[in-house]
Amino acid sequence: MRLLTRLSMFCLLFGLICCKEKDTQPREDATFFLRHKGADMPIWVKGNRQPDKIVLFVHGGPGDCAMCYRYYLKDLESDVMMAYWDQRVAGASSGKVDPATLRYAQFEEDMELVVSLLKKQYPGAQIYLLAHSFGVELAWQYLTKGDNQRHIAGAMMVNGMFSYYRWLYQVREWALKRAREKGNKEAEDFLTANPVTPQNTGTVDWEGIYRWMHKLDGNPVSVYSDKKYVINYALGSPNTALAQFTHSKAYGYYGDIESRTFEKGNLLQHVRIPVGLFWGKKDGIVPCEIGQESKDLLKNAIVTQVIFEQSWHEPFITETAEFVNAVRTFVGQQL
Amino acid sequence: MKCKFLWFVLFCTGPQFLYAQSLRLGYFGETVSHYGLRVAYEKPVAVSVSARHAKRMLYGSLGVAGYQHPQNHIGLIVSPEIGFRRTGKKGALFELSLSPAYFRYFLDGKTYEATTDGDFDRVRFAGGNAFMPTLSLGVGHDLSVRRKVPLAWYVRLDLMQQRPYNTSNLIRFALEAGTLIPLKKQ
Repeated sequence: MRLLTRLSMFCLLFGLICCKEKDTQPREDATFFLRHKGADMPIWVKGNRQPDKIVLFVHGGPGDCAMCYRYYLKDLESDVMMAYWDQRVAGASSGKVDPATLRYAQFEEDMELVVSLLKKQYPGAQIYLLAHSFGVELAWQYLTKGDNQRHIAGAMMVNGMFSYYRWLYQVREWALKRAREKGNKEAEDFLTANPVTPQNTGTVDWEGIYRWMHKLDGNPVSVYSDKKYVINYALGSPNTALAQFTHSKAYGYYGDIESRTFEKGNLLQHVRIPVGLFWGKKDGIVPCEIGQESKDLLKNAIVTQVIFEQSWHEPFITETAEFVNAVRTFVGQQL
Repeated sequence: MKCKFLWFVLFCTGPQFLYAQSLRLGYFGETVSHYGLRVAYEKPVAVSVSARHAKRMLYGSLGVAGYQHPQNHIGLIVSPEIGFRRTGKKGALFELSLSPAYFRYFLDGKTYEATTDGDFDRVRFAGGNAFMPTLSLGVGHDLSVRRKVPLAWYVRLDLMQQRPYNTSNLIRFALEAGTLIPLKKQ
């Protein structure tokens, strides 16, 4: 009898706790899949439904994952609904995909559908983009096409490029500067011998430049050095652990040909929605100068620039609290 | 040549020493968070007992495994299997098996497909089919050898290759742990 009473008390207490959470914070926890052109792409929507705002996380890579960064972005879920979308041949996406679909145009088409699907599932909700690295390329691709901007309340771009030429130019500049600072003659000689011009972007040894940038500490941060993150990734995320390492193989054409054609510089003047440029200052992968150039090109948009002084390519990893606050402020401002 | 001869002897002598058919029942999962169950019916094809009382058995089995990868998919694996098992005189068990398995998965969420008019259609039971050749390596203990308990426990590691997966294939691991329950003696 005593045991029964204790059990009832426990159940009552548990029930009250659960109810209390629901009353103060209506949570959304849904999993959708978008099936398109061979790919089954998951979209996990999690967070506070009440403000009717969705922040769509557009992950980098290509071939990276969205939910694997939830560990760092989770605090935002108390303010808004976070939508974590795994692009085709990335994260936990599956299906039977033709490698020929791994093109900017297809990713943009996928993104249009993801936004439409979110609009259909959450009518009236405002959608914000939180794009990182390669995701920024997709976001610019999306925002500079047709009237896509009308679906988006604001876009936060994190350490990503708008032009392949300007990107590689700035990476080389960054690496050359570091090579001189560190007195690395070998790196300096290589970088001096390989200037980047608009004419040679299709043929210049980008991998050589990129490799030197990494060797000169362009991004020394690794998520795998954080044991808590690794445990969470292996046990708590919906990703298939080994799948993550298979995706990059599919992006050979992207690296060799497709990415070299990417140029949205002239189109940024047509962007009229609020834009946040969030940058890790020490990044060598997409240097801070690209953020400044993006700002100069966004002539008709209200631009908020946030620099994370102690960060490289992923400020949400190195300055998580500051990053989350910057997103909160940006989303809070756009009413 | 020696090896081929050994297999030949095993096949010829097997029926005289046929052991019990058995049921394999165990945990099946990629990790503890991707949990599932595996059931298989197992039948000896050939058995030999050496002078040192080690039992060698070639067996065939048909199994079904089901598991859930939360927020990702629910998987079903149908695996006809051919395997080799050695049981030592103290009951220690070692096994190696091969299976050309069929994998069916169901996406663990509502799936939508875009229609030509810009709307979305719900796809019921969305998922996919795949070929999943599997190599398994296991160890365990046959409790019937010394303690007369008609049961064996085993732990085994499955190495699987899912084809197709996105643009190519995916190597997967699974851990199995369970029991082998004899059904009847022949």
